[in-house]
Amino acid sequence: MDFSELSHQQEIRESLNKIFSEKCSPEKLKNFDNEFKHDENLYEFLATNGYLGLGINEKLSGSGEDLYDLGILFECLGFHAAPLCLTGCLVDVAQTLQKFSKNDNHQSIVSSITKGEIYTSAILEPLNHDPENPTTTAVFDDDKIIISGTKYLSEISSLAKGILISASSNKGVILALVKTDNVKLTQLTSTANSPLFKVELKNVSIEESDVVHEEGRGLEALKYLLQINMVMRSYIALGVTNKMTSLIASYTSEREQFGRVIGTFQAVSHRAADCFIELECLRLVNQQASTNLNTNLDCENDALVSKIWAGNACHKISYSAQHLHGGAGVDRDYVLWRYCLLAKECELINGSASQNIERLGLNITANQ
Amino acid sequence: MLIQLNSQQAKLKDELREYFKGLITPELKTELNNPEHFEGGGPEFKKAMLTMGADGWIGLSWKKEFGGKELSPIEQYIFVETVMRTGFPFPFLTTESVGPMIAEYGSDWAKEEIATKILQGKLIFGIGYSEPNSGTDLASLQTKAIKEKDGYLINGQKMWTSLANFSDYIWLAARTDFEAKNHKGISMFIVPTNDPGFSLTAINTLGDVRTNATFYENIKVPDSHLVGEINQGWSLITSQLNLERLALVNHGPVEELYKNVLELAQNTKIGNDQSLTDLSWVKQNFAQIHSGIEALKLICWKQTWIMESDQLNMAEASVAKVYGSEFFIEAYRLLMEIMGELSILKNDSELKILNARLERMYRTASILTFGGGTNEVQRDIIAMAGLFMPRSR
Ligand SMILES: Cc1cc2nc3c(=O)[nH]c(=O)nc-3n(C[C@H](O)[C@H](O)[C@H](O)COP(=O)(O)OP(=O)(O)OC[C@H]3O[C@@H](n4cnc5c(N)ncnc54)[C@H](O)[C@@H]3O)c2cc1C
Repeated sequence: MDFSELSHQQEIRESLNKIFSEKCSPEKLKNFDNEFKHDENLYEFLATNGYLGLGINEKLSGSGEDLYDLGILFECLGFHAAPLCLTGCLVDVAQTLQKFSKNDNHQSIVSSITKGEIYTSAILEPLNHDPENPTTTAVFDDDKIIISGTKYLSEISSLAKGILISASSNKGVILALVKTDNVKLTQLTSTANSPLFKVELKNVSIEESDVVHEEGRGLEALKYLLQINMVMRSYIALGVTNKMTSLIASYTSEREQFGRVIGTFQAVSHRAADCFIELECLRLVNQQASTNLNTNLDCENDALVSKIWAGNACHKISYSAQHLHGGAGVDRDYVLWRYCLLAKECELINGSASQNIERLGLNITANQ
Repeated sequence: MLIQLNSQQAKLKDELREYFKGLITPELKTELNNPEHFEGGGPEFKKAMLTMGADGWIGLSWKKEFGGKELSPIEQYIFVETVMRTGFPFPFLTTESVGPMIAEYGSDWAKEEIATKILQGKLIFGIGYSEPNSGTDLASLQTKAIKEKDGYLINGQKMWTSLANFSDYIWLAARTDFEAKNHKGISMFIVPTNDPGFSLTAINTLGDVRTNATFYENIKVPDSHLVGEINQGWSLITSQLNLERLALVNHGPVEELYKNVLELAQNTKIGNDQSLTDLSWVKQNFAQIHSGIEALKLICWKQTWIMESDQLNMAEASVAKVYGSEFFIEAYRLLMEIMGELSILKNDSELKILNARLERMYRTASILTFGGGTNEVQRDIIAMAGLFMPRSR
């Protein structure tokens, strides 16, 4: 057993923190509060410096398939509230294509992603609590496939060259790439101003070669995508809650009331300590889920555990941070508010803790 | 023992509900959906206040001699509950706590000029207590009022002065004795916001609630603007805050939201002929909220019942404040879980209006846990006054 980060992972973490500290300063983040929240320059910078190849095989211009490397990137994005939404591209598209597609075109898409080409996914559907059963349909028609349905919470779709879609067909679930030009996009307004879209597909015609997995492996690929997405978003949650906890520590060590630093009130220090405990648990379940996914394509329960912890930690730590800051915490001139909003998105995307607890309960009590 | 509203109280509730249906016009609704007017202050809001004044609905807790209704605490609670359910930003602090104080302790000028106009719905107050360095430790406040010939000269800065951007006066706490122990040297003043020495800057918050930093530079007010005795302001502040606390945790708004989400969830199909409420975790969430609301309602009712006989127990007031403020946060979370990912979206969702409201409620929820007397201090009070434990250090 070994819980330590490898030296290259420490290096990734250090350099990403350095990059983001400079490029995601509060002044710079302000520019995106009311604008399309995607920092093009930062994205390009990450591409040129090899950070978009984390978790991707060297043969596809990446830096190796260890998912923990990719987790570090998402944790750092969360910690710095970076104006980039990358799970659709780097997780859903790159990882699924890398693991499941035997098609050379798809492999070169993965390689182009490491260099800054944008793809995204559209998997979730409004009010569909079971993403393994998409309501979006795919009909095989000679050598064409016709796709219809509505997806939402698709990231940076307006910038994407193609969108990975899940759909149900008479041959089971499929995952396929569609061209962005062939769908209707509507930008959504989310609580954290994330660049999310509704994607409407009306009889969109694709080729069989756009399906990104071998025949019959669609469900397996979709399950993998959903699980790895959960885990990588939990890394964002880890970064977000870690930042909030460190803000608690620094603020309560300085703010004085009643002639003393408020951190010396036991109620304050204990609540901060509870955040630390929550954070530690979240970190560990994330690490377990991502390392297990490295060697096993189906780790649903591990993914659910990390998602459940992420949902609870986001909720608890967000309100602890707001409370322990008093009024200063909710002032939009201070930094905390952005994290509170991000925390809510991390908590609810891919299902709430209550929803996933039930799912986990069903899994672990089912007769094998 | 009988734990329900009596028939007059139930009638009052119905009457108020009908009244507000008429008062809240579509124009007013539109105005209140504009972030700039979330807290009131717009033309439609002002019109509604004047109407309420003319119809005798302002000043429920005021003595009859001032034109008030002298309603019992229970009826008062029903009023607050019904208004809050409608979402109308009724300026309770002005009408129900600052107003009665001025009516009782104000100078002749204040009684005539200020109190009566509050009753008529013509005046709004901002509360000027908190300062950059005096939040929970309010008694350490530094804004000063120096006695001069026929008046006071006020200088200082307040923080989080909500409504100051459209209020007529600030209910201002200032230090008047610099030798006395902290809370013994504070006095209360009525400070006009149209004085040239008054200025403010906006503070925008997480929940889109606008509040303000307010500045007082050589503002001269006549003696008549002092409320109560000199250096006796602390007792006015604490009784005002006591009044405020119960209103803050009224169970009306959260129950209204719960009912609305329940109805929506029952009618929301999630595929396979199922509705959202067929899911067992959704039932659980609703049941948790329901049982939480019951307790909150009863805590509040019991307090208002106790207040009728005038023996408000410190511990119980703090129980209401802590439980209520922390329950709101959990309840909004459970409701958002039920609406799921849709509840983080503010547009383009079928469930637009309700979700937008939920989304905003969760963003404003934290303020009550540290505002109005922070929960840590309330817990200290509960341990001391409720459990007779030694004072914590
Ligand atoms: C949106 C908004 C509107 C407001 N409107 C008004 C208004 O209209 N008028 C007005 O006067 N004020 C207003 N306030 C201010 C509010 O009353 C203060 O925020 C509150 O009193 C807390 O003070 P603080 O923010 O300075 O926090 P602090 O007092 O600095 O508290 C920070 C943290 O320390 C903890 N703490 C402090 N003392 C202790 C202790 N002894 N033991 C244990 N823990 C402790 C607190 O619980 C809190 O978690 C408003 C605030 C907000 C955010």
